[in-house]
Amino acid sequence: MPPDGLERHRHASSPLHRLDARVKLLGAVALIVAVLALPVVAWRGFGAVGLLLAFLVGLSGIPPRELARRWLGMFVLVAFLVAMIAPAHPDRPQYGLAAVAVGILIKNGLALLTMIVLAGTTPFARLLVGMRKLGMPAVLVATLQFMERYRHVLIDEVDRMATARRARTFRRGGALSWSILGGLIGQLFLRTFERAERVHDAMIARGWDGTIPSDF
Amino acid sequence: MTDVEVRRESERRSADGAVEAVRVRGLSYQYPDGREALRGVDLSIAAGESVALVGPNGAGKSTFLLHLNGLLPGKGRGTVGHTHSFGGGNERRREASVWIDGLEVNDRNAREVRRRVGLVFQDPDDQLFCNSVIEDVAFGPRNLGMSAAEARGVAEECLRRVELLEAAERPPHHLSFGERKRVCLAGVLACRPSVLVLDEPTANLDPRGRRRFIGLMQAMDATLLIATHDLEMVLDVCGRVVLLDGGKVVADGPTREILADVELLERHGLERPLSLSQPR
Repeated sequence: MPPDGLERHRHASSPLHRLDARVKLLGAVALIVAVLALPVVAWRGFGAVGLLLAFLVGLSGIPPRELARRWLGMFVLVAFLVAMIAPAHPDRPQYGLAAVAVGILIKNGLALLTMIVLAGTTPFARLLVGMRKLGMPAVLVATLQFMERYRHVLIDEVDRMATARRARTFRRGGALSWSILGGLIGQLFLRTFERAERVHDAMIARGWDGTIPSDF
Repeated sequence: MTDVEVRRESERRSADGAVEAVRVRGLSYQYPDGREALRGVDLSIAAGESVALVGPNGAGKSTFLLHLNGLLPGKGRGTVGHTHSFGGGNERRREASVWIDGLEVNDRNAREVRRRVGLVFQDPDDQLFCNSVIEDVAFGPRNLGMSAAEARGVAEECLRRVELLEAAERPPHHLSFGERKRVCLAGVLACRPSVLVLDEPTANLDPRGRRRFIGLMQAMDATLLIATHDLEMVLDVCGRVVLLDGGKVVADGPTREILADVELLERHGLERPLSLSQPR
């Protein structure tokens, strides 16, 4: 599989890329907490964080278009959240619906952008090492590591299954029926389960004794 | 050593006194659903031999390979039917059926057995679970108790052997299938096994990748056991062929003899390799 958009930038060498993963991780979490702590309508605060992020993005050399693409990917979810939360927000009478909705959108956007910049400037393996050094439990780090490794394998598998399904679906367009979709998901689960067994076998075959090394 | 142990020790030695690299006696295995995968397999492989394990799909090849590493009986305990016994008795403990370098494959020896037997799985994605190639190759050495630096050194050396040192820091999903396959081999070599067991090493490889992998296998000095359908490769790599069908060894002999026996091969769902039927 070719590297996806962000992965291409992960191995660049801007000052932000070279920074210790721990610093970036803590910085990102701190920034997100700060954004979340801001009131729902705090234009100046948003502006300040936005400026800081713009500076970091410039420093990282990630094309803003790539960031926007990522952010738009999450936009549907965020828009749904806004539609759910904004009408019932306690600050709505004070600022009006539109301002509250935009405020939530901006807060979400800033937090997401922080994550994307972090992910875009830090190879995943280094992020994991950072987490480990910051004292995150080894089991959690290992789980994340497996997720990242098999995410790609799984996506390939879904692609193949979907292609095979399409090759035998003789209707034009339209959504797959629920029963077919259910079967697809069920089969994916079974395959994943079997793969997990085989991966476990392969680990044991190379002498794994169930403990995760501390510097894994 | 008790008398019994001494007797067993002598049993393990072949006529010329050398310890067999692999010794299997009366190995049977039933899957938990009752399906019989192996029905009394006997096999001896001398150190340094290259043996091909051939047979149709479902013959029990992969199941057999997992037994060499002690991976299977442990799971199906209670449902495992080992048909043979040593001197009878009502021993509750599982009867031994597999020895590696004279070492009985059981729970107690599992660690040492797995160090000696390197198992290369068919699907490289099952074996490469780390986020970078070097980490993955160093996984075995780390489990053997090496320090991080030591393990890295061994891993680099093994990557150099499979000509993939430059890919050390890359994530496995950026490698081609053939490259991933070679990383798997490096990961297993890093444990310095005396017996190398490969499941379908050339399946799904393109001709160049296949050639390369065959070259690597030929250069191995470990004992080789290769389960495969690729009989042309067998001609190149293995001096001996064991034909497994229906969970039993149905033929065992020199490669050229067995692979030239058209009737035998066809009876068991195989085909004579083309290069044997063409005059050279």
